[in-house]
Amino acid sequence: MTTVGPGPAPVTAPVEETDWVAALSIPGPERERALAELHGLLLRAARRQVQRTGAVTRDMAEELANQAADEALITLLGKLHTFEGRSRFTTWAYKFAVLQAATAVRTLAWQDREIHLDGLDLVADGRPGPGQYAEAADLAVAVRAALDTELSPHQRRIVLALLVDDVPIDVLAERLGTNRNALYKALHDARKRLRARLRATGFLDDHLQQDKAGRS
Amino acid sequence: MNIRHLGPDVVERLTLDTEPWLSCDDCFRQVDEYVDRLLAGEADPMPPMRVHLRGCPACAEEAGTVLELAAEDAGVPAPDVDWT
Repeated sequence: MTTVGPGPAPVTAPVEETDWVAALSIPGPERERALAELHGLLLRAARRQVQRTGAVTRDMAEELANQAADEALITLLGKLHTFEGRSRFTTWAYKFAVLQAATAVRTLAWQDREIHLDGLDLVADGRPGPGQYAEAADLAVAVRAALDTELSPHQRRIVLALLVDDVPIDVLAERLGTNRNALYKALHDARKRLRARLRATGFLDDHLQQDKAGRS
Repeated sequence: MNIRHLGPDVVERLTLDTEPWLSCDDCFRQVDEYVDRLLAGEADPMPPMRVHLRGCPACAEEAGTVLELAAEDAGVPAPDVDWT
Protein backbone atom coordinates (compact mmCIF):
# COMPACT_ATOMS: atom_id res chain seq x y z
CA MET A 1 0.00 0.00 0.00
CA THR A 2 1.34 3.32 -0.90
CA THR A 3 0.99 6.06 1.64
CA VAL A 4 1.08 9.68 0.78
CA GLY A 5 2.23 12.24 3.28
CA PRO A 6 0.49 15.51 3.81
CA GLY A 7 2.98 17.48 1.65
CA PRO A 8 2.66 21.21 1.20
CA ALA A 9 -0.73 22.72 1.78
CA PRO A 10 -2.59 23.26 -1.50
CA VAL A 11 -3.00 26.85 -2.57
CA THR A 12 -6.73 27.39 -2.63
CA ALA A 13 -8.88 30.45 -2.77
CA PRO A 14 -10.69 31.50 0.38
CA VAL A 15 -14.24 30.19 0.67
CA GLU A 16 -15.67 33.55 -0.25
CA GLU A 17 -13.84 33.51 -3.61
CA THR A 18 -14.81 29.93 -4.39
CA ASP A 19 -18.41 30.82 -3.77
CA TRP A 20 -18.30 33.74 -6.22
CA VAL A 21 -16.76 31.72 -9.03
CA ALA A 22 -19.12 28.79 -8.48
CA ALA A 23 -22.15 31.02 -8.18
CA LEU A 24 -21.30 32.77 -11.44
CA SER A 25 -20.52 29.57 -13.30
CA ILE A 26 -23.60 27.41 -12.73
CA PRO A 27 -26.82 28.48 -14.46
CA GLY A 28 -29.80 29.01 -12.21
CA PRO A 29 -31.29 31.45 -9.73
CA GLU A 30 -28.09 31.53 -7.67
CA ARG A 31 -26.19 32.77 -10.71
CA GLU A 32 -28.79 35.47 -11.36
CA ARG A 33 -28.45 36.68 -7.76
CA ALA A 34 -24.66 36.65 -8.01
CA LEU A 35 -24.75 38.57 -11.29
CA ALA A 36 -26.98 41.25 -9.79
CA GLU A 37 -24.76 41.59 -6.75
CA LEU A 38 -21.62 41.68 -8.87
CA HIS A 39 -23.09 44.36 -11.11
CA GLY A 40 -23.76 46.43 -8.01
CA LEU A 41 -20.14 46.11 -6.94
CA LEU A 42 -18.89 47.07 -10.39
CA LEU A 43 -21.21 50.06 -10.49
CA ARG A 44 -19.86 51.24 -7.14
CA ALA A 45 -16.31 50.93 -8.47
CA ALA A 46 -17.11 52.72 -11.72
CA ARG A 47 -18.86 55.55 -9.87
CA ARG A 48 -15.86 55.99 -7.59
CA GLN A 49 -13.48 56.24 -10.54
CA VAL A 50 -15.70 58.71 -12.38
CA GLN A 51 -16.05 60.83 -9.23
CA ARG A 52 -12.29 60.77 -8.79
CA THR A 53 -11.73 62.62 -12.04
CA GLY A 54 -14.59 65.05 -11.49
CA ALA A 55 -14.50 66.07 -15.13
CA VAL A 56 -18.13 65.42 -16.10
CA THR A 57 -21.61 66.52 -15.10
CA ARG A 58 -23.61 64.49 -12.58
CA ASP A 59 -25.95 63.01 -15.21
CA MET A 60 -23.07 62.19 -17.51
CA ALA A 61 -21.17 60.64 -14.60
CA GLU A 62 -24.03 58.27 -13.85
CA GLU A 63 -24.39 57.31 -17.50
CA LEU A 64 -20.65 56.67 -17.84
CA ALA A 65 -20.57 54.64 -14.64
CA ASN A 66 -23.48 52.44 -15.74
CA GLN A 67 -21.93 51.84 -19.16
CA ALA A 68 -18.58 51.03 -17.56
CA ALA A 69 -20.19 48.59 -15.12
CA ASP A 70 -22.08 46.84 -17.94
CA GLU A 71 -18.96 46.49 -20.07
CA ALA A 72 -16.83 45.44 -17.11
CA LEU A 73 -19.30 42.70 -16.23
CA ILE A 74 -19.07 41.23 -19.72
CA THR A 75 -15.26 41.42 -19.68
CA LEU A 76 -15.04 39.91 -16.21
CA LEU A 77 -17.30 36.97 -17.05
CA GLY A 78 -15.12 36.21 -20.06
CA LYS A 79 -12.09 36.10 -17.77
CA LEU A 80 -13.68 34.35 -14.82
CA HIS A 81 -11.60 31.23 -15.47
CA THR A 82 -8.42 33.28 -14.99
CA PHE A 83 -9.23 34.21 -11.38
CA GLU A 84 -6.61 32.45 -9.28
CA GLY A 85 -7.57 33.59 -5.81
CA ARG A 86 -4.45 35.72 -5.37
CA SER A 87 -6.70 38.48 -4.05
CA ARG A 88 -10.24 38.78 -2.78
CA PHE A 89 -12.68 38.25 -5.61
CA THR A 90 -14.16 41.69 -5.10
CA THR A 91 -10.75 43.39 -5.40
CA TRP A 92 -10.15 41.44 -8.61
CA ALA A 93 -13.56 42.49 -9.90
CA TYR A 94 -13.18 46.19 -9.10
CA LYS A 95 -10.21 46.61 -11.42
CA PHE A 96 -12.30 45.79 -14.49
CA ALA A 97 -14.86 48.50 -13.72
CA VAL A 98 -12.21 51.03 -12.71
CA LEU A 99 -10.32 50.55 -15.98
CA GLN A 100 -13.49 50.88 -18.07
CA ALA A 101 -14.61 53.99 -16.22
CA ALA A 102 -11.19 55.63 -16.24
CA THR A 103 -10.75 55.13 -19.97
CA ALA A 104 -14.26 56.40 -20.72
CA VAL A 105 -13.83 59.57 -18.66
CA ARG A 106 -10.40 60.37 -20.08
CA THR A 107 -11.63 59.84 -23.63
CA LEU A 108 -14.58 62.14 -23.00
CA ALA A 109 -12.46 64.81 -21.33
CA TRP A 110 -10.04 64.90 -24.27
CA GLN A 111 -12.46 64.36 -27.16
CA ASP A 112 -12.46 68.02 -28.22
CA ARG A 113 -8.84 68.74 -27.39
CA GLU A 114 -6.07 68.74 -29.93
CA ILE A 115 -2.82 67.02 -29.11
CA HIS A 116 0.15 68.91 -30.53
CA LEU A 117 2.54 66.08 -31.23
CA ASP A 118 4.68 68.03 -33.67
CA GLY A 119 4.22 71.54 -32.39
CA LEU A 120 5.57 71.31 -28.87
CA ASP A 121 8.98 72.30 -27.62
CA LEU A 122 10.69 72.76 -24.30
CA VAL A 123 12.90 75.53 -23.05
CA ALA A 124 15.40 75.34 -20.24
CA ASP A 125 16.85 78.77 -19.69
CA GLY A 126 19.67 77.68 -17.40
CA ARG A 127 18.81 80.25 -14.77
CA PRO A 128 17.73 78.87 -11.41
CA GLY A 129 14.17 79.63 -10.46
CA PRO A 130 12.96 80.56 -6.97
CA GLY A 131 14.18 77.99 -4.45
CA GLN A 132 16.18 76.19 -7.10
CA TYR A 133 19.90 75.46 -7.07
CA ALA A 134 22.05 76.40 -10.07
CA GLU A 135 22.82 72.69 -10.50
CA ALA A 136 19.13 71.97 -11.05
CA ALA A 137 19.02 74.59 -13.78
CA ASP A 138 22.13 73.02 -15.35
CA LEU A 139 20.43 69.64 -15.21
CA ALA A 140 17.39 71.03 -17.00
CA VAL A 141 19.63 72.30 -19.79
CA ALA A 142 21.32 68.90 -20.02
CA VAL A 143 17.96 67.10 -20.14
CA ARG A 144 16.76 69.47 -22.84
CA ALA A 145 19.86 68.69 -24.94
CA ALA A 146 19.52 64.93 -24.35
CA LEU A 147 15.93 65.02 -25.60
CA ASP A 148 17.29 66.09 -28.99
CA THR A 149 20.37 63.91 -29.16
CA GLU A 150 19.21 60.67 -27.54
CA LEU A 151 15.58 60.25 -28.57
CA SER A 152 14.05 59.48 -31.94
CA PRO A 153 11.42 61.96 -33.17
CA HIS A 154 8.74 59.37 -32.32
CA GLN A 155 10.06 58.89 -28.78
CA ARG A 156 10.32 62.64 -28.28
CA ARG A 157 6.71 63.21 -29.38
CA ILE A 158 5.46 60.54 -27.01
CA VAL A 159 7.53 61.74 -24.07
CA LEU A 160 6.48 65.37 -24.50
CA ALA A 161 2.80 64.50 -24.89
CA LEU A 162 2.72 62.19 -21.86
CA LEU A 163 5.04 63.93 -19.42
CA VAL A 164 4.88 67.58 -20.40
CA ASP A 165 1.36 68.04 -21.75
CA ASP A 166 -0.12 65.37 -19.45
CA VAL A 167 -2.04 63.63 -22.22
CA PRO A 168 -3.44 60.42 -20.66
CA ILE A 169 -1.69 57.36 -22.03
CA ASP A 170 -4.91 55.66 -23.18
CA VAL A 171 -6.05 58.81 -24.99
CA LEU A 172 -2.71 59.14 -26.76
CA ALA A 173 -2.78 55.45 -27.66
CA GLU A 174 -6.17 55.85 -29.29
CA ARG A 175 -5.06 58.94 -31.28
CA LEU A 176 -1.92 57.18 -32.51
CA GLY A 177 -3.67 53.90 -33.28
CA THR A 178 -1.53 51.98 -30.82
CA ASN A 179 -1.98 50.65 -27.30
CA ARG A 180 -1.07 51.58 -23.76
CA ASN A 181 1.67 48.93 -23.49
CA ALA A 182 3.48 50.13 -26.60
CA LEU A 183 3.45 53.75 -25.44
CA TYR A 184 4.64 52.89 -21.95
CA LYS A 185 7.46 50.82 -23.47
CA ALA A 186 8.47 53.79 -25.62
CA LEU A 187 8.41 56.00 -22.54
CA HIS A 188 10.41 53.47 -20.52
CA ASP A 189 13.07 53.21 -23.23
CA ALA A 190 13.23 56.99 -23.61
CA ARG A 191 13.77 57.46 -19.88
CA LYS A 192 16.50 54.84 -19.99
CA ARG A 193 18.29 56.64 -22.83
CA LEU A 194 18.02 60.00 -21.09
CA ARG A 195 19.34 58.56 -17.85
CA ALA A 196 22.26 56.88 -19.62
CA ARG A 197 23.23 60.16 -21.30
CA LEU A 198 22.98 62.14 -18.07
CA ARG A 199 24.98 59.53 -16.22
CA ALA A 200 27.67 59.59 -18.91
CA THR A 201 27.93 63.35 -18.66
CA GLY A 202 28.02 63.32 -14.88
CA PHE A 203 24.64 64.91 -14.33
CA LEU A 204 22.68 62.07 -12.89
CA ASP A 205 22.14 61.33 -9.24
CA ASP A 206 24.06 64.15 -7.60
CA HIS A 207 22.19 66.75 -9.59
CA LEU A 208 18.87 65.01 -9.19
CA GLN A 209 19.36 65.00 -5.45
CA GLN A 210 20.24 68.66 -5.57
CA ASP A 211 17.18 69.26 -7.67
CA LYS A 212 14.94 67.58 -5.12
CA ALA A 213 16.69 69.45 -2.32
CA GLY A 214 16.16 72.69 -4.18
CA ARG A 215 12.41 72.18 -4.14
CA SER A 216 12.10 71.12 -0.53
CA MET B 1 5.20 76.10 -31.95
CA ASN B 2 3.93 75.62 -28.40
CA ILE B 3 6.64 76.25 -25.84
CA ARG B 4 6.73 74.69 -22.39
CA HIS B 5 9.19 75.42 -19.59
CA LEU B 6 11.31 72.51 -18.44
CA GLY B 7 10.85 72.78 -14.68
CA PRO B 8 12.10 70.51 -11.87
CA ASP B 9 8.94 68.37 -11.83
CA VAL B 10 9.20 67.61 -15.53
CA VAL B 11 12.93 66.88 -15.22
CA GLU B 12 12.19 64.40 -12.48
CA ARG B 13 9.46 62.69 -14.50
CA LEU B 14 11.67 62.54 -17.60
CA THR B 15 14.57 60.95 -15.77
CA LEU B 16 12.65 58.58 -13.52
CA ASP B 17 14.22 55.13 -13.18
CA THR B 18 11.48 52.69 -14.25
CA GLU B 19 13.54 49.49 -14.05
CA PRO B 20 12.54 46.71 -13.76
CA TRP B 21 10.28 46.81 -16.78
CA LEU B 22 6.63 46.02 -16.18
CA SER B 23 3.96 46.64 -18.81
CA CYS B 24 0.56 48.22 -18.20
CA ASP B 25 -1.04 44.83 -18.92
CA ASP B 26 1.21 43.18 -16.32
CA CYS B 27 0.23 45.90 -13.89
CA PHE B 28 -3.46 45.30 -14.54
CA ARG B 29 -3.03 41.56 -14.03
CA GLN B 30 -1.33 42.02 -10.67
CA VAL B 31 -2.92 45.13 -9.20
CA ASP B 32 -5.57 43.27 -7.17
CA GLU B 33 -2.98 41.09 -5.46
CA TYR B 34 -0.75 44.12 -4.88
CA VAL B 35 -3.60 46.09 -3.30
CA ASP B 36 -4.68 43.26 -1.01
CA ARG B 37 -1.10 42.66 0.14
CA LEU B 38 -0.72 46.37 0.92
CA LEU B 39 -3.93 46.20 2.93
CA ALA B 40 -2.61 43.13 4.74
CA GLY B 41 0.21 45.31 6.02
CA GLU B 42 3.10 44.41 3.72
CA ALA B 43 5.28 47.48 3.28
CA ASP B 44 6.55 46.88 -0.26
CA PRO B 45 4.97 43.64 -1.45
CA MET B 46 5.76 43.81 -5.17
CA PRO B 47 8.54 46.30 -5.98
CA PRO B 48 8.08 46.17 -9.78
CA MET B 49 4.47 47.23 -9.25
CA ARG B 50 5.55 50.20 -7.13
CA VAL B 51 8.04 51.21 -9.82
CA HIS B 52 5.46 50.96 -12.58
CA LEU B 53 2.89 52.95 -10.64
CA ARG B 54 5.41 55.73 -10.04
CA GLY B 55 6.09 55.91 -13.77
CA CYS B 56 2.56 55.53 -15.15
CA PRO B 57 0.03 58.10 -13.89
CA ALA B 58 -2.96 56.33 -15.48
CA CYS B 59 -2.20 53.00 -13.80
CA ALA B 60 -1.50 54.82 -10.52
CA GLU B 61 -4.85 56.59 -10.63
CA GLU B 62 -6.70 53.33 -11.26
CA ALA B 63 -4.75 51.45 -8.59
CA GLY B 64 -5.59 54.22 -6.14
CA THR B 65 -9.30 53.72 -6.73
CA VAL B 66 -9.04 49.92 -6.35
CA LEU B 67 -7.10 50.47 -3.13
CA GLU B 68 -9.80 52.77 -1.74
CA LEU B 69 -12.59 50.33 -2.55
CA ALA B 70 -10.75 47.30 -1.19
CA ALA B 71 -9.84 49.18 1.99
CA GLU B 72 -13.51 49.98 2.56
CA ASP B 73 -14.39 46.31 2.10
CA ALA B 74 -11.67 45.29 4.54
CA GLY B 75 -12.79 47.91 7.03
CA VAL B 76 -9.35 49.46 7.24
CA PRO B 77 -8.02 52.86 6.21
CA ALA B 78 -6.32 52.93 2.83
CA PRO B 79 -2.53 53.08 3.27
CA ASP B 80 -0.97 56.42 2.43
CA VAL B 81 0.85 55.59 -0.77
CA ASP B 82 2.60 58.09 -3.01
CA TRP B 83 3.13 56.57 -6.40
CA THR B 84 3.36 59.80 -8.32
